[in-house]
Amino acid sequence: MDGDSSTTDASQLGMTGEYMASSHYVLHPQDDDGEENMNDHEDSGTKENYREQDIYLPIANVARIMKNAVPQTGKIAKDAKECVQECVSEFISFITSEASERCHQEKRKTINGEDILFAMSTLGFDMYVDPLKLYLQKFREAMKGEKGMPGVAVGESLGEDLTDDGFANPLPAGIITADGQQQNVMVYTTTAYPQVQPPVVI
Amino acid sequence: MSQTNSGKDSQASEAKKAISLPISRVRLIMKSSPDVSSINQDALFLTTKATELFVQHLALTSFNNRSQTEANTLNYSDLAKTAEESDTFHFLTDILPKKILAQDYLKTLEQMQDEDSDF
Repeated sequence: MDGDSSTTDASQLGMTGEYMASSHYVLHPQDDDGEENMNDHEDSGTKENYREQDIYLPIANVARIMKNAVPQTGKIAKDAKECVQECVSEFISFITSEASERCHQEKRKTINGEDILFAMSTLGFDMYVDPLKLYLQKFREAMKGEKGMPGVAVGESLGEDLTDDGFANPLPAGIITADGQQQNVMVYTTTAYPQVQPPVVI
Repeated sequence: MSQTNSGKDSQASEAKKAISLPISRVRLIMKSSPDVSSINQDALFLTTKATELFVQHLALTSFNNRSQTEANTLNYSDLAKTAEESDTFHFLTDILPKKILAQDYLKTLEQMQDEDSDF
């Protein structure tokens, strides 16, 4: 058997498929959930649902959000954190494939904000839509106010991505010259990489 | 011209603080979906933000729903329970199988076999 102590493979358990069909069970030889490595998907082929993506968001970030969500005195078990980490990837894929489908139906290639919001509504996350619209508004305003190019990072993790995706909409770029004057230049791009103007220095 | 950007800077830093998950990683996960070619900036931001809301939502719902209320700890089983009982989180049931101890399973198995042998 593999290093992973759990299996849902009927043949390994010496059982016929019938016993497993009614519900999913994962067996543990001992009552120690902390040992379970939820990130180990090397044997994912033995699980009933084979998932290709093993990409997760960092557990520290996920754990922090969880901690802030539950009451102050509450605690979170390690396996719960790892589990939510996986759920998150599932959620993102869930939304993305729904949004992607709609996008294709409308003969578009780029998934936009509307597709995402629509997907949320369709999939039962309607309650997120209004708060998200507000956040998006704030985000857009903040981006407009940022001096420099749209490729400049608003948060450090934002910057690296903005240069990769094609921008669906032209964005105004504020360029501050050395004497403090602000010029506004429209940056249009039709290629995968935005054409960015360097700041003018006098 | 004096810096009139201070107001906008605080807006920008608010936007920075508003996101506590790495957008690049979110993008990677989105790209791993089949048939996804490109993702616009808004979509990426919305997905990242939605993911935060999702984590909060799932954590809090599961915590309040937990089977061992005296323990004050959120466990894996609380999450599995929530996935099964909630419509919203039902899509998670495939990746959140309920766990049972091997001895309990074998006991159940024995019982089933006993029932069979009665026929």
